[in-house]
Amino acid sequence: MNKLWIVTFETFLRQVKSWGFVALVLGPFVIFGISIGAGYLSASSASDSDDIAVYGQNELKDAFIKQNKDDINTKIKSVSTAEKKVKANKIAGYLVFTTENNSVKATYHGSSSIDNSMKAKINTFTMGVQQQLNYANAQLTPKQAQSLQQQPVFKEVIRKKTGTDNLAKMISFWIIVIMVYTILITYGSITAQEIASEKGTKIMEVIFSSTTAVKYFIGKILGVLLVIITQILIYLVGGWGMFVYAQHAELTKDAIAKNKDLITAVLHNILSLNLVYLLLGVVIYTILAALCGALVAKAEDASKAAQPVTMLSMLAFFITFPFQNNMDVLPVKILSYVPFFSSYFMPMRIINNEVAPIQIIISLAILVAAILLMIYYIGKVYQGLMLQNDDSSFWKRLKRGLSYNK
Amino acid sequence: MLSVQHVSKSFGSLQALDDINFDIPDGHILGLIGQNGAGKSTTFHSILNFLHYDGQINWQGEPITESVFDQIGYLPEERSLMPKLTIEQQIVYLARLKDKSAKEIRPQIDSWLEKFAVKGNKKDKIKSLSKGNQQKVQLICTLIHNPKLIILDEPFSGLDPVNSDLLKQAIIEAKNNGASIIFSSHDMENVEEVCDSLVMLRNGRIVLDGTVGEVRDQFGKTRLFVTTDWTADRLSQLPHVISVIQREYNRYLLDLDDETAGKDIFDTLTNGQYIEEFSQQPPTLNEIFRLKAGDHNE
Repeated sequence: MNKLWIVTFETFLRQVKSWGFVALVLGPFVIFGISIGAGYLSASSASDSDDIAVYGQNELKDAFIKQNKDDINTKIKSVSTAEKKVKANKIAGYLVFTTENNSVKATYHGSSSIDNSMKAKINTFTMGVQQQLNYANAQLTPKQAQSLQQQPVFKEVIRKKTGTDNLAKMISFWIIVIMVYTILITYGSITAQEIASEKGTKIMEVIFSSTTAVKYFIGKILGVLLVIITQILIYLVGGWGMFVYAQHAELTKDAIAKNKDLITAVLHNILSLNLVYLLLGVVIYTILAALCGALVAKAEDASKAAQPVTMLSMLAFFITFPFQNNMDVLPVKILSYVPFFSSYFMPMRIINNEVAPIQIIISLAILVAAILLMIYYIGKVYQGLMLQNDDSSFWKRLKRGLSYNK
Repeated sequence: MLSVQHVSKSFGSLQALDDINFDIPDGHILGLIGQNGAGKSTTFHSILNFLHYDGQINWQGEPITESVFDQIGYLPEERSLMPKLTIEQQIVYLARLKDKSAKEIRPQIDSWLEKFAVKGNKKDKIKSLSKGNQQKVQLICTLIHNPKLIILDEPFSGLDPVNSDLLKQAIIEAKNNGASIIFSSHDMENVEEVCDSLVMLRNGRIVLDGTVGEVRDQFGKTRLFVTTDWTADRLSQLPHVISVIQREYNRYLLDLDDETAGKDIFDTLTNGQYIEEFSQQPPTLNEIFRLKAGDHNE
């Protein structure tokens, strides 16, 4: 097997077998599972304890239960039992309907204030019943009664498509920048530490007596890239599985159906060219991280090695904030072509339909060219950087490393 | 054959190597000796093409490039392995980088571990091994792919006498298989015992080279071992004697400034009578090293 692939697969296998990778990949699924579980438990426990029981005049009681059957516990037959259930916190309270002197009265008994929505339902119900009683007592003709029932009209016209699109853009923006930032920070740090720890052990001399530094360097980058692709694939497959489950789960199916357009728009925004920007962004930051790892003096400094990558990624991440609702400005246009920044800014523009295909092609070409140039240059000086291990200042180490093989 | 011709290398104002020349034929062991900083590791790094140098280094008549990396076995001065791998994974990974398949290497691992008396199982993690055993695993990694050019930087450092003997046997075995071997060492006894020839560096220059016998003979037979009733004071007054060291009760080591004085001293000490011991020898490599390696020889 080609030595480049031996290095690639060794790097890949070492990473995916580590507990860190397993935790990184499973983390979101565990959090999702816990959220679903907690939501289910909360919903099932709340369904009983939020219910109320209803007593009093049969016609009123039956009519109210008929209108609000989801919120009423009809199993409790007597007021004394209901009283006990309230004390035991098994139901929220109980309601007693009475009529005295043509006046409808609803009395709520509970351990705390009645829920606002239930209060509104009771008010609406009692007002309706009271109105019917009033009409009956007033002995109005049907025509008079009908004219008194006339209600004002309130209309709400919402341009649903535009609203959904805007919300989808905002959600897509946040998902993409947070995803790019998290992956860049995570893998930048992993790469820098991996390279720095190898430099500390000096195993590089043995490896460079077996293969060239360029092959080894590219193998390392490809190995890390394979790990990232694996993680993204797991997320895509897992995310799809969760989406399918959520479409059928009792707890979530209504919300999914209600927001189908929004979800489709967000998925469309994410699963597009933006994924290419994510991958290429990870590659260029990983190469920079490898360079930073190669510049440390010893393995103990590995945690510091990723700092420049972290800082640069943070800078790009935070610069996106002021522009999220204002894509058509010059800084955004310029930064969407600048390697290291384009992975954040071009996806923003793509989501907002602010960019022509030719502009995307030019931006991608610049990014790919920058990656190739960096691989070529760092590959050339990599051996020198990895083999020199003096404990002098950063700049002296850099200078000496760059001139090592001249 | 490894051929190193007119190799020079400088780091800024520091002349690390200055016109180095030597050959190592197939089936030959060369010892590279010199003080710390004399240029031994830089010589190895030049052979391995880790750095650019002036001059020419050829292996079997061709410059050393990636195409011959698979024929090289290299043990660096500082031992280094991947601590999270098992012994087997480490050996297989490095052997695969030497173009050997895992299938070919795996069956050999147990016998190599036995050969070097490594205490541990091939499934043990490198980090769980003692320093000495890690060093032996690294030696196995250096030799298991049957290299034809073996470069060992301080291979004996940190090894006890028993393990040193195991390593010497392995080196001699590789030599008998036709490998060209170069190693550096500060232990002159090992050099004397194993090497066919040696090169001594001082400040990047060759100050001595040749076979061990030739090098020792260059210094003349200036050491006398005598067993006599004479006192050290009387012996030191003999002509051409520059120092006298009492080794045992009446056994002395005399250093001469002229080897031809040996015969006159023999006549004086024996005076036609029997003498228990009189032996005239060249200096040991250790003495030559002390004599030639230091900066005081500038």
